[in-house]
Amino acid sequence: MLERRSIHNLDWVLAFAVLSLCAAGMGMVYSATLGGPLTPLATKQIVYFAIGLAAMILALAVDYHTLASLSYVFYAASLLLLVYLLIFGRAIANTRGWLELGPVNFQPAEMTKITTLLALSSYLSRNRSSGLTPSNMLAIIVIVGIPFLLIARQPDLGTAITFLPLIAVAAFLGGMRVRTIFVLVMIPILALPFFWNHYLKDYQKTRVLTFLDPSRDPKGAGYQVLQSRIAVGSGGLTGKGFLEGTQGQLKFLPAQHTDFIFALMAEERGFLGSMVVLVLYFVVIYRCIAIARAARDLLGVYLAMGAMALFACQVLINIGVVLGLMPTTGVPLPLMSYGGSSLITTLAGMGLVLNVWMRRLVN
Amino acid sequence: MAWDYRNSKDFKDYYEERRLQRRIGFIFVLLSAVFLAYLFNLWFLQVVNGDNYRRLADNNRLRQIVENPLRGLILDREGRPIVQNRIAFNVLLDREKLVRREETVRSLSKILNLPEQTVRERIERYRNRPIFEPVIVKEDVDMGEAAYLESRRLELPEVSVAIEPKRSYQNRDLAAHALGYVGEISETQLGKQRYAGYQLGDVIGKAGLESFYDTDLAGEKGWKQVIVNSLGREIRALPAGKRPLAGNALRLSLDLDLQQELESAFEDKMGSAVFLDPDTGEILAIISKPSFDPNVFARRFSAEEWKELINSETHPLQNRAIQSKFAPGSVFKIVMSIAALESGKATPARTDFCPGYTVIYGRRFLCHQEGGHGTLAMVEAIKKSCNVYFYHLGRDIGIETISEWAHKLGFGQATGIDLAHEEAGTVPDEAWKRRTHNEPWYPGETISVSIGQGALEVTPIQMAVFASVIGNGGTFYRPHLLLSREVRGGVEEAVKPPEVLGNVKLKPSTLQVVKQAMWEVVNEGGTGTKAAIPGKDVCGKTGTAQVVKASAGVKSEKLAESIRDNAWFVGFAPKDHPQIAFAVFVERGGHGGEAAAPIAQRVMLKFFEKKDKPPEGTQVARATQHP
Repeated sequence: MLERRSIHNLDWVLAFAVLSLCAAGMGMVYSATLGGPLTPLATKQIVYFAIGLAAMILALAVDYHTLASLSYVFYAASLLLLVYLLIFGRAIANTRGWLELGPVNFQPAEMTKITTLLALSSYLSRNRSSGLTPSNMLAIIVIVGIPFLLIARQPDLGTAITFLPLIAVAAFLGGMRVRTIFVLVMIPILALPFFWNHYLKDYQKTRVLTFLDPSRDPKGAGYQVLQSRIAVGSGGLTGKGFLEGTQGQLKFLPAQHTDFIFALMAEERGFLGSMVVLVLYFVVIYRCIAIARAARDLLGVYLAMGAMALFACQVLINIGVVLGLMPTTGVPLPLMSYGGSSLITTLAGMGLVLNVWMRRLVN
Repeated sequence: MAWDYRNSKDFKDYYEERRLQRRIGFIFVLLSAVFLAYLFNLWFLQVVNGDNYRRLADNNRLRQIVENPLRGLILDREGRPIVQNRIAFNVLLDREKLVRREETVRSLSKILNLPEQTVRERIERYRNRPIFEPVIVKEDVDMGEAAYLESRRLELPEVSVAIEPKRSYQNRDLAAHALGYVGEISETQLGKQRYAGYQLGDVIGKAGLESFYDTDLAGEKGWKQVIVNSLGREIRALPAGKRPLAGNALRLSLDLDLQQELESAFEDKMGSAVFLDPDTGEILAIISKPSFDPNVFARRFSAEEWKELINSETHPLQNRAIQSKFAPGSVFKIVMSIAALESGKATPARTDFCPGYTVIYGRRFLCHQEGGHGTLAMVEAIKKSCNVYFYHLGRDIGIETISEWAHKLGFGQATGIDLAHEEAGTVPDEAWKRRTHNEPWYPGETISVSIGQGALEVTPIQMAVFASVIGNGGTFYRPHLLLSREVRGGVEEAVKPPEVLGNVKLKPSTLQVVKQAMWEVVNEGGTGTKAAIPGKDVCGKTGTAQVVKASAGVKSEKLAESIRDNAWFVGFAPKDHPQIAFAVFVERGGHGGEAAAPIAQRVMLKFFEKKDKPPEGTQVARATQHP
C-alpha cells in the first residue's frame, strides 16, 4: 500500500512547514496557560499532536483513490453523528457540537470537513462535464450544504462558515462562468440589508457593529478586539519575549490559548515572529496549490485545492479577527490553537494533500 | 512547476485544462495578495504603531498607587503626645466575590449592628466605581468586631477587615480649638494654590494648628507602581516608587499639666483663657469653651453630629480665645491709667471723689459701689475699680488719647498668633465712628469707653498679650503655640527664639503705679483676692462687662444684674520679673473676681508647683545615688 518510492516522494517542504507550525502552536499554548489552572493543556496538546500525526500518516498511506471510493460511507457516517448531536447532544458553551466520549470530547464538525471534502471531490471527479452543469452545481450545494446546516443549527455559525470555501472552490474549478460568478457576488451584497434585518440574531449584529467600531463597547463585545490589537501592536518589532507578554500573561487577552493564540504569539515574538508564522502558513498554502497543479487526476486537484481552501479560509479568518479586520467568529487558528479536533482534522487534511503529491506520477 | 495534465487522459480537451490551470493560478494570486495585505497590516500595527500600543498595554497593567504618609504627631512642651495616629479597622466588602447579596447584607447587618438598609445603601453608593474597588461597609469598628469578622473569613469570604491610620485626639476635647481637626479636602480647597498636589479623598488639617501647620504635619506622599491583571488584582510591586515621608512632629509650647488644670478649673463654664510666658510669647495653656471632640471629624461621619456642632447656639466650633470679641470691662481701667500717665494729662496723685454716681453731659452714670468709694487716688481707684474716677479721667483726657494708647497697648489689631482667623477687635475713636457709622463721636461714648464698655471690643488673646506687656515692661512678643518641629529623621530643630513684634515705651513710674495697683487688687483686699497665691505676688485686674451692648449711653442699672455679665481676670505673676501672664474670660460668669480669678489661681498654683519642684529625673538620679 505504501510503496518505498512514495516515501521518497514526500513533500518535505510542506511537511516541514506544517510541523513547524504545530511546534510553535504547542509553545504558545504553554505560554498562554502558564501559571493558570490550565497548565496541563500544553501536555494535552502534545498528545493531540501525536494522534494528529498518526491521522496524517494514515491519510497519506492509503491511496487517495481508495479513500475516495469509500468517501460516501465516511460522509454518511459523519452526517449521522451531526444529526445525533442535534437530537441528543448536551449543550456545552451554548452549542451542541461536542461528542462526549468518556474523558475525551470531540467535535464531529471538524472531522466532517474531511469527509465532506472527500465526498465532494469524489463526486466531481466522477461527474465531469465541460463547464459547470446545473446538476453538478446542485450536487456541490447539497454535499456541502447539509453539514453546513447541521452545524449552523448547533448553533456554531463560525465553524459552519468555514465549509463555504468548499462550494466556492469546487464551483470555480468546476468551470462556473465568469458572468455567473459576478452575479453571485453581487446578490449577497444587494441582499445584505434584508438579511441583516430579518435573519441575524442580536448577538451577531452586535459582533458586526462592534467590529466596525470597537470603542462602542470597550468593556464588552469590543473588549476582545481591542485587547487583541493592543497585544499584537505592543509586541513591536521583536516582541516582549517568550512568556513575557503582559497582555497574555496578565489575562487581558481573551481566549488566548484558542482563538487569540496568534495575538499572544505576536505580542511575545513581535513582528519578526508573526512574519515567520505568516510565511509558514503561506508556504503551506503555496505547496497545496502546487500539489494540486501536479496532481495526476482531477480527484487529486479537488482534494488538494479543497483542503487548501478549508485551511486558508480558517487561517485568514482567524488572523483577520486577531488583527481586528473581521468580526469575532470563534474560528480557531489551524495547527496552532489549542484543541484536539481541529488539530487532528487539519493534520489529516494535510495528509490527504501529501497523499496526492506522493501519487502524482502515473504508475 | 510540473504541469503534466497534457499527458493525462482525465482531461477531455486542451481548453478545459487551460481553464483549470488559469483558475488555480488566479486563486494563488488572490491568496498571495491577501497574505501580503495581512503582512502589511501586521507591520503597521507592530512596527509603525508599536509604541502607541505598548503604552496602551502599560496602561492596562500598570497602576500607580499613592501611599499616604502618616501625619506628624503633636506633642506638648515636654514631649508628651497630645495628638497621635491610631490604627482603625474598616470593614470592606469585595463585590467581585459577592455571590448571595441579600444573605451577605443580612449577616453583615447583624454582625455590625447596622440596619440592613444602611448596608444596602453603602454598597449601592459604589455602583459606578470599578468592581474591584472594595466597599467600606463600616468604618472604625472596634477590635472585637474586627476579630469576629476575621474569624469568619471562611463563611464570608467577600468580607474583610482593612486597617487605616486615623487621627487620634486622645484627650478628646482638650485644647480642641487650638489643635483643630482634620477632614477630607473639600472641592473648593482643591482648587486653591495651597493645596496643589492634593486629590479628592485626601485628609488635610481643617482648623487650628492642624490647618496652620498642615504643610509640616502632612508629610510627603509616596507612590508605588504595581502590576495588575485583567481583574485589577495586584500581582506584584515594581521596584520603582517612593516611600511616603511621615509628617514632622510638632512640639508645642503648651504644658499638658497646666492645660489639664485649666480644663478642669473651667468645668462646663463658657468662655476662654490664655496663659503665656511674658518673656517669650509661648502659650502655656489655651482654652475655649464649650469645646468639641475633634475625633468626630476624623470619621467619614454622620451628618447629624456635624449639624449639632454647627447649629448649636453656643457655637462650640468657634475659638473664643482669638475669635470672640468682648467688651474688656474694668480691665480697661489699666489702659486708661497708662494713657493718662504717659500723655501727662494726669499724675498718680490725681484724686477724685466718688459719691456712687456722677452726672456728665446731663446724664447720670453709676458706680458699682452703692454709696460711693469716697475720695481716692489712682492706685486705689484701680484696686477698687471705681467707675466714677475713670468716668472723669476719660472725660478729661479725651477719646483720641485713649484710642492712641489702646492701640499702642495692642488692642484693635491681631496679635499674630499662629492660628488662622484671628479677630482684631475694635478700639473706637472719632475717625472710626465716622468711617463705620458715618456719624460724629458723641462725648457720652467716651465715658462708656472709659470703663471698658461701649464699642470697645477685645479678644482674650489680646488681653493676655496686654498682661504680658505690662508684666515684661513693654515688649510685644508674638504669641505662639509652636515651640519647635522635628526635622526629618527624628532630629528636633532648635526651639524658636521669641519673636519681638514691637515695643511700647512706658515710663518706669507708670509701670510702677500700674503694677502696684494690680498687686493690690489681688493682695490688698481689692476685687481679685481670689487669685492670691502666698509668696507669688500675683498681679491682676478684674473686669465685669455687660453682655447687652450699650448703644450710645450706658444703661448703668444693667451692671447690677451680675449673672448676665461677662467676667474677666487679667494679670501676671510674680510682680517683679513675671513668669506667667494670663487672661481668663468667663462668659456670663458674673463678677470677674468671683468667676474668673479662681481659675487663674488654680492654673498658676500648678505652674509654680511645677516650677518650684526639682525635675523628676533629678530625684530619681539622687535616689539611685544614695540607696
